[in-house]
Amino acid sequence: MSFQTDSLHPPSYALWLINLFACSEDSESLVGDMQEEFSHIASTAGVAPARRWFWRQTLATIPYLFIRGFLGAPLWTATAVVGGFLLMRTVSRLPEMAIFALLAKYRVFENHFSTYVFFSTYGMALGHVVASLFVGFGVAVVAKRREMIATTALALVFCTLIVLSWFVSISWRWPLHDAFTWLLWQCADPVAIVVAGIVMRNRRSRGQILRCT
Amino acid sequence: MFYYVEVMSDRDYLGEFEHLIVLALLRLDDRAYGVTVRQEIELRTKREVSIGAVYATLDRLEGKGYVNSYRGDPTPQRGGRSKRFFRVTPKGIAAVNRAQHALRRMTAGLDFIRSYS
Repeated sequence: MSFQTDSLHPPSYALWLINLFACSEDSESLVGDMQEEFSHIASTAGVAPARRWFWRQTLATIPYLFIRGFLGAPLWTATAVVGGFLLMRTVSRLPEMAIFALLAKYRVFENHFSTYVFFSTYGMALGHVVASLFVGFGVAVVAKRREMIATTALALVFCTLIVLSWFVSISWRWPLHDAFTWLLWQCADPVAIVVAGIVMRNRRSRGQILRCT
Repeated sequence: MFYYVEVMSDRDYLGEFEHLIVLALLRLDDRAYGVTVRQEIELRTKREVSIGAVYATLDRLEGKGYVNSYRGDPTPQRGGRSKRFFRVTPKGIAAVNRAQHALRRMTAGLDFIRSYS
């Protein structure tokens, strides 16, 4: 093969994904190993198989990085997650209260019924997403360099609760279509929490691998 | 009459993948790091192994005191990242010996090709 292996780079999104969760010096060696093997596979089998290999390894490695990141500072990360959970329970009611207070103040129900419906459905859902982003940023700040570990753990807790309550609602013979719509809206909250973690991580890392301190 | 009883804790044994990893480390000697360990296991067992699984097991083994690690120099092929080399400790060698003896005792007298294929 004539191409220079040094000029080959692994898939940037996969590398970015790994860097989000790689938060220790040891994780740095792991990423180095993956890059080394990528170069080797690219020079022997070609770039496309090497890229496929790198993606496969990335997806299989993220759970390990997540667990390792959590076990690196279990107490601190768990505190951030529990704090985030309690904060979410407090904050998640605020958009509802604020929106209904405004709707009542301006008598929207009587004068603009369609606006009332819009704000009491989509407005509230959007408010929840904003509240989740706020909580996600809070957790990411507290978790320091383990922002992705803490926000992902919190999102997983909420996902578990959402799925459990979804199954309960199904068992109560809630129409399946409504249950799916509800599920999608509810999933926006954990996604927003993780997005907040990603934003904080990227702000702190500026394209470099961070070490958890 | 006195008996010598060796007390093993609940986690003082090697799992199947741990066993493979320790054997790979022993084979590779001072060349044992993530890439070579993964390749050695893939080459000899013909099963795809993720680098994450290798590191997770190595971390566990290090926690048990069966292996220790040290850092190598960073290289350009690795994006300037250093290698983490692993070495089996005397405790790890004792554990792999125990596992090998147990395996030999359990398989003694069994004819795998004729009876179980």
